[in-house]
Amino acid sequence: MNFLRQFLGILRVSLSGVAERVGPVLTIIIGITCAVGVLVSMLAMGTGARRQEIGDARPDRVVLNSIGAQGNQSSIPRDEAAVSLNLPYIKKDINGEPIVVFTSFVPSEGQRRVTGNRMFLPLVGTTTNLIEFQPEMRFTGGRMFHRGLHELIASNPCARQFTGFDIGDRRSIHGSDWTIVGHFDQGYSQQCVVYADVDTLMSTFSRNTYSRISLMLQSAADYNSFRRALQANPTLHLEARHEREAAEEQFKELNSLLSFVSYFIGTIMAIGATLGAMNSLYSIVDARRRELATLRAIGFGSGAIVASILCESILLALPGALLGGLLAWALFNGLSVSPFGFNFQLEVTPSLAMLGVMWALGMGLLGGLLPGLRAARVPVTTALRAT
Amino acid sequence: MRFLPLIWSGIWRKPGRTILIFLQVSVALALFGMLQGLKTGVEHLIAEARADLLIVHTRESFSAASLPLGMLEQIKSLPGVKVVDPVELFGGTFQKPTQQVGIVAVRPDEDWTSAFTFLIAPEYLDAFRKTRTGALAREELARKYGWRVGDHVPLQTNVAQLSGTKDWTFDMVGTFTDSDIGGGSDNILINFAYVDEARLVGKGTVQHFNVAVSDPKLALTVADEIDRRFANSSNETRTESLRELAQSNMQAIGDLNFLIRAIVGAVFVALLFATATMTMQSIRERTPELAVLKTVGFTDGSVFVLVLMEALVVYVTAAAFGLALATLVFPFAARIVPGLSMPWVIVAVGVASAVLVALISAAVPAVRAARLNVATALAER
Repeated sequence: MNFLRQFLGILRVSLSGVAERVGPVLTIIIGITCAVGVLVSMLAMGTGARRQEIGDARPDRVVLNSIGAQGNQSSIPRDEAAVSLNLPYIKKDINGEPIVVFTSFVPSEGQRRVTGNRMFLPLVGTTTNLIEFQPEMRFTGGRMFHRGLHELIASNPCARQFTGFDIGDRRSIHGSDWTIVGHFDQGYSQQCVVYADVDTLMSTFSRNTYSRISLMLQSAADYNSFRRALQANPTLHLEARHEREAAEEQFKELNSLLSFVSYFIGTIMAIGATLGAMNSLYSIVDARRRELATLRAIGFGSGAIVASILCESILLALPGALLGGLLAWALFNGLSVSPFGFNFQLEVTPSLAMLGVMWALGMGLLGGLLPGLRAARVPVTTALRAT
Repeated sequence: MRFLPLIWSGIWRKPGRTILIFLQVSVALALFGMLQGLKTGVEHLIAEARADLLIVHTRESFSAASLPLGMLEQIKSLPGVKVVDPVELFGGTFQKPTQQVGIVAVRPDEDWTSAFTFLIAPEYLDAFRKTRTGALAREELARKYGWRVGDHVPLQTNVAQLSGTKDWTFDMVGTFTDSDIGGGSDNILINFAYVDEARLVGKGTVQHFNVAVSDPKLALTVADEIDRRFANSSNETRTESLRELAQSNMQAIGDLNFLIRAIVGAVFVALLFATATMTMQSIRERTPELAVLKTVGFTDGSVFVLVLMEALVVYVTAAAFGLALATLVFPFAARIVPGLSMPWVIVAVGVASAVLVALISAAVPAVRAARLNVATALAER
């Protein structure tokens, strides 16, 4: 009880003195604001990227790739693809057709509206039952492409970012003219993607194999039975994965790169802010040497002094954390970035803000520790004699 | 010179504070050096990439589709074209799926190396031309897997041979180095003729052509000429120089410019505030000492210089230390982007900004110190 009373007493005196020590106090707050702001905005890239990659993933959707293939390198022959239609546990659409989507992936380029630079965009050949497979796909203009025609549909981010994707625009692809006939949104995805009829696209590029097969199960619980049925079929050299797993694997490198860079830069900023806080607290403690020595002389415990300095440090770090999170949110939330050809929006979430606060607490604790110990160890007599 | 001991003792008056400021400046400059250094370093490499080496690929993108091999003669017949070589790229793995190897098939005709950025010793070049199943490995790669001349290296690929197998075996005949930044470090070179004959599908097609021009100044004209030649055919081409290609590959990073600038901005705002407060505090504490200096004959000007010099010495040495730390990451980054090194301009800008931070944060305290009234200052004691 005595400890607590002493601790609160010192803390109250410390905090009432904040106004006189504007410089050091602001140094702590600004340093931590910058560190937390940078950390949170960097991590917001990773969060935004993940939301885009797996935000739409559903447990009843399955992706088939040829065994051992990585990413879009899979090549599935047409006859194998045809056999896959007869696999059990696949959901049927209203016409009784299995909801199985064949896709073929062609890397392509678009011209950025603002800069005029050319940038990667995926041109994906797919079947028209894509709409049943992806209910989150919503047309905002025009219509679906027709089978066998040179028609394209583009996601709205394409039309926003690149020239030549308005409805009615013609694009020359491999020597033939293709017309844009529709615009759509796709759930959380901010990625530009262009769809075309898979067979028409494959004959244009004289391809014989699909890049991947996606299908919808009758229910998510059928996944294991479906896998067994797939493995039991000797004509199919395919492996099945949940949509989410497939996406995570595809973006593994991007995600680990983003989080490595975020924490690397965040840590360096945090070290800088901790050093700044430490220096400021040292100077605050120095300025109060006589006062602290007096307290010790009249019987205040060292523990209470250390605890109150630590607490002061944390209390000064907190506004920095909140301000940093707020700034990150105000400046960067919703900002579109497109590193390495992927396009996504930064997303500052409450859990990221919490993480920023935790880091700030850490910086406050580390920064306050040494100055607190120094304050508690000041020899009473010398401190009282000093000017 | 008589200032030196004074500056020195001023710096070490409170060692803890000076060391903390030193570390703070170092950390800030290390971060600045890394971010800005990597960005500028890449930009320099792009600017140095060869503009006279052209790549002819399909109009859609670099790897969307193949071109017929027959186009080679047509390109060769165009004016200004010196050498044309077919290039086929595919991926393979060595022993484990994680040990990826990039396979680059080329045709070792006469003078073929002028259409590439490779550096190959004459004896290796000769062996490569004579050995149909021969392969040259990039030096780093050969070292990584311990490949020696004469080794048979089996690779698993996604390209089927006539027999149906996707395993290929190549005979190591030597090594090469590559000065191209986008080249990737885990590549081997093999004979196009061998691959084309042995593969099951895609015979007689090629992913792109490398073109060397006879006059570097004509590179742009030749590129336009090639694209015009194949316009409105089913094999429309896009011809770009290695430099343009590097530019579009690295554009991805360019998109992050805004973020880099924001981070560097935040670093310097925090730093400036911290150092300015500290210097101010330090001078305030030393008011009596400065007053004594003036009493014994130091002019206002020399006190002003003294305070500034103290800050400059600490900040500039800290900046040098921080930038030296930053250069430590470049050898790692050079594994991804070969040839990357710390640009001198960033070192210069880093030191200059440290000087600026020192001047800004010490200016007010220095003026205050210079204007100090001896009588009042001493009276406070």
